Amino acid sequence: MASTLTQDKLSLEAGASHLTNLFRALRDAQVIPSPLRSKSHQWVSDADLLTLFTEQALKEDWKYTPMDFFRYAWDYVPFQTEPLHIASQSAFSSKSPLSLAEVERIEALRSFPEPLSPWEALLSGIPAQLHYRLVDGERLAFTLRNPGSLSAQLITVSLPAHAEAEIGFSIKGEGFSLLRFHLHLGEGAQLRLYYLSEDGSESTYRYLILTSYLEKNASIATYDFTTEVGWKRSEYRVRLAGEGASAHLHGAAYVREHALVDTAIRVEHFAPHTESNQLFKSLVQAKGRSAFQGRIFVDRVAQKTNAYQSHKALLIAPTAVAYSRPQLEIFADDVRCTHGVTTGFLQGDMLMYLRARGIPEPTARQMLYRAFLTEVVEKVPEVSLRSWIDNRLSDVIGAQS
Amino acid sequence: MLSIDNLHVSVEGRPILKGLSLAVKPGEVHAIMGPNGAGKSTLASVLAGREGYEVIEGEVVFEGQNLLEMAPEERSHAGVFLAFQYPVEIPGVSMIQFLRAALNAHRAAKGLEPLDTSDLMALLREKAALLKLDPSFLSRSVNEGFSGGERKRAEIFQMAVLDPKLVIMDETDSGLDIDALRVVSEAVNALRSPGRAFVIITHYYRILQYIRPDFVHILADGRIVRSGGAELALELEEKGYEPLLNPA
Repeated sequence: MASTLTQDKLSLEAGASHLTNLFRALRDAQVIPSPLRSKSHQWVSDADLLTLFTEQALKEDWKYTPMDFFRYAWDYVPFQTEPLHIASQSAFSSKSPLSLAEVERIEALRSFPEPLSPWEALLSGIPAQLHYRLVDGERLAFTLRNPGSLSAQLITVSLPAHAEAEIGFSIKGEGFSLLRFHLHLGEGAQLRLYYLSEDGSESTYRYLILTSYLEKNASIATYDFTTEVGWKRSEYRVRLAGEGASAHLHGAAYVREHALVDTAIRVEHFAPHTESNQLFKSLVQAKGRSAFQGRIFVDRVAQKTNAYQSHKALLIAPTAVAYSRPQLEIFADDVRCTHGVTTGFLQGDMLMYLRARGIPEPTARQMLYRAFLTEVVEKVPEVSLRSWIDNRLSDVIGAQS
Repeated sequence: MLSIDNLHVSVEGRPILKGLSLAVKPGEVHAIMGPNGAGKSTLASVLAGREGYEVIEGEVVFEGQNLLEMAPEERSHAGVFLAFQYPVEIPGVSMIQFLRAALNAHRAAKGLEPLDTSDLMALLREKAALLKLDPSFLSRSVNEGFSGGERKRAEIFQMAVLDPKLVIMDETDSGLDIDALRVVSEAVNALRSPGRAFVIITHYYRILQYIRPDFVHILADGRIVRSGGAELALELEEKGYEPLLNPA
């Protein structure tokens, strides 16, 4: 497919200078001493990096976060090949990674997609890898704490036919994390994945690339919640390869002052009767930025596709910014694809209604901010996790606004 | 209880209320009737403290306090309740959360501790029963997906919970069918008490067949042009506004 070049120069420049400022702040705060780059820990060469920076613009027609910001990172943080530190697996039952011999036979690796961008290619080549094959009813949980420098991890998970499983991924702390996830779902398999990005600061940078391959009647649901980060980019690529496969992607972000939360999604319908749903919401503080790009691709064979996408941003202050870019690319004629995007401020009549019942204005605002994200939180099927997320968001909103 | 004296209010530079005066004592029910554009909803909005209304002249005193200087939430704490003409939907905030926050803010203003959950639920269930409301609506989001009748009943329910001294009903009857109107009116009648006053703003006579007013005022062009007893409403119903506003 030929890529169209419609770069938004202004946004790219704004994004670049924004990130440069973040890095300066990071350096000035001496959270990460500089310079720390160690040649011995490199897994990519300078030449590879140069290719990344020059090629990336060609591979994607628009990207809010200019990935060449890593050029700045390069000066301040070490590239390490150590995996992210798995702090605990307490909340769920744990599962050991597969042995090398078993890895040979893992289905997930066979469904590994061709990289779309040089960054995907880079993250696929990470030496730090974990491979899992889950069985029915299994729950895999990670609590990762960023080691305070740049680190990377590739995790593959395969789920056999008709198995149902759950993955919880909680990531905390400061520094950079690059995480590449690849999921393979066999026929009729069902997976729920929670990605909780919390307990960070303005010195927290998280880059997630999640790819997944779904066979016939398989179903995936993801829940991506963000509270405290400096920068976060999540890229989702979901391929509905088998008839009747479905994907439900959810995300709610509380974007702090000066933070940037960037989400890019590509859902590919490659079989008939496939279904996808995207529901993302961003609550953006003063000087915070939210960027959302969601593409639904429907192949010509994918008749009777049912796809929906929604992104809503609520701006807390006039200096908050939200970019939304819904995209539909449809090559089949008998499909139903819709999308909805809204960006705006709190409605005065809602605030007035609460105040007229005696609720003080600051409390009323907090209630409405929290309510805005509730639509996404309510999609979490597990009650205990839902209330934990709800409380977490309430705490953060209460403390910040 | 409430004293409005020579109130002049503009909206976007356009005069709407032009010297309105009204005195309401505890226990009284006043109906304010008037044709479209007379300033009925402006009066309700100014009393509740909605933004965008400029008071040019006059004063509003509620129990010795200057109402116009109080924030909307302070007016509520003082005992003023506005039943909205168009109650807004608030997805993501349940009726329980909403009423808990409202009640506890009222209690905090009086120096009282927040209600615990069991006391709160007991109170809400009791008031719901009084209004013949299915308690399941408490776990729904505020007004979300409510029918016109449900919304107006929910307004009266909130009134029952917050126990105000002065209730202003802004065209509560609009958009209600006869059955819903009867239910809402019965609820209001159940909440009438010697200590509580009502100002019922309406376009139509029919709500006054169910909630019998002590006084009826006709609002036209920003002022009260005639006042009388309940019989004035009937006269309006029979003759229309025209002969009353422009006597030959």
